Amino acid sequence: MRSRDGNSNLLRRLCAVVFCSSLSLSAGEYLISYKYIVENITLYNETLLISEAMKKCNGEPQKEFVLHSSGSRDLKEVVSQNSEEFIEYIHKLGLHVEHKEITTNLQNRSTTTLILKTTCFKVDFNDNFVKIAPLK
Amino acid sequence: MRYSVLLSLLLSVSSLFANGQNNSNSAEDLHRAKAESALIKDELDNARAQTILIKDEIAQARAENQEKLASMKSEEEVLKKNKSTHISAIGQGVSPLNTSSPAQAYALAKRAAIADAYRSIAEKVKGVRIEGQDTIKNMMVQKSTIRTHVQAMIKNADIVETTFKDGLCEVEMEIVISYADFAQ
Repeated sequence: MRSRDGNSNLLRRLCAVVFCSSLSLSAGEYLISYKYIVENITLYNETLLISEAMKKCNGEPQKEFVLHSSGSRDLKEVVSQNSEEFIEYIHKLGLHVEHKEITTNLQNRSTTTLILKTTCFKVDFNDNFVKIAPLK
Repeated sequence: MRYSVLLSLLLSVSSLFANGQNNSNSAEDLHRAKAESALIKDELDNARAQTILIKDEIAQARAENQEKLASMKSEEEVLKKNKSTHISAIGQGVSPLNTSSPAQAYALAKRAAIADAYRSIAEKVKGVRIEGQDTIKNMMVQKSTIRTHVQAMIKNADIVETTFKDGLCEVEMEIVISYADFAQ
C-alpha cells in the first residue's frame, strides 16, 4: 500500500539496508601479536604486529575496547594514535610472562619477556571511534 | 739325705706361701672388678637417665614443631570458595641511556618496571624453578652458576602506583585471584 507521503516505508528499509551493509563493510578481523623484552631491568625490544586476517576467525567477541579515531580506516594508524591505551588494554587481556635469570660468579643477568600470542580481533570502524574485541 | 729333706721342706713352705699370696691377689682382683662393675652400673644408670632426658627433649621439640606448623597453617592464606585474594608486587625499571627526552625515558622505564612487576607476581603465584651448578677444582670454586626460570600467564593486573625518580621507575601492581580462576 502506498502511504500518504509517498513511498516512505520503502525508503526507510532501503536506508536501513544501506546503513547495515556499510557497517558490515567497515568491520574486519585482524590478527594482533605483541611482545616486549626487558633485559637487566631495561627495555630491550618491543614489537606490536597488526595484520588483516586472511581467513575468517572463529569465536565470540570478548572484552570490547573503544579507540578514538579521526575517521581513519587503518588500524595501525589508529593504534599508533592511541598506543598507550591500547597497550594497557592488551595487558588487561593477559600476557604470558617468561623470566630467565642467570647468576654467574655473583654477576646477575636477567631477561623478562611478555607476550600476547597472535590473537584474532574483531574491529568495527566508525566515524570517530573504532571498536575492537578479541575473538575467543 | 738331710739336705734333700730340708730342700723338700723349703720347697713345700715356699709353695704354701705362694698359694697364700695368689689367694690374696685374686681377692683384691675380685674387689677391683666389683668396684669397676659398680662404676659401670652407675655410668649405665646415668646414661639411661640422660637418654630419657634427651628423648623427652626430642618429644618436646617435636611437639613445638607441630604446634608451629599448625599455627603456620592457620596463618597461611588459603584461597577458599567464593573468596578472592589480593596479591601485590613492586616492579623496578631503568630507562636506557640513549633516550631523546625525559618523557621517553619515563615511558621506557615504566614499561620495564611493569615487566618486573609481572615477573614478581608470577613468582608469587606460580613459583620459581631454580637450578644451581658449582664447579670445584683443586678445592677451589671455579664457577658458580644459579639459573632461575619463571613462566606464567597473567590477566587483569592493575597498576596501583607509579613513581619515577633519578631514572628509576617503580610500579606497584595488584592482582585479584579468585577461586573461580583455578577451578575448571
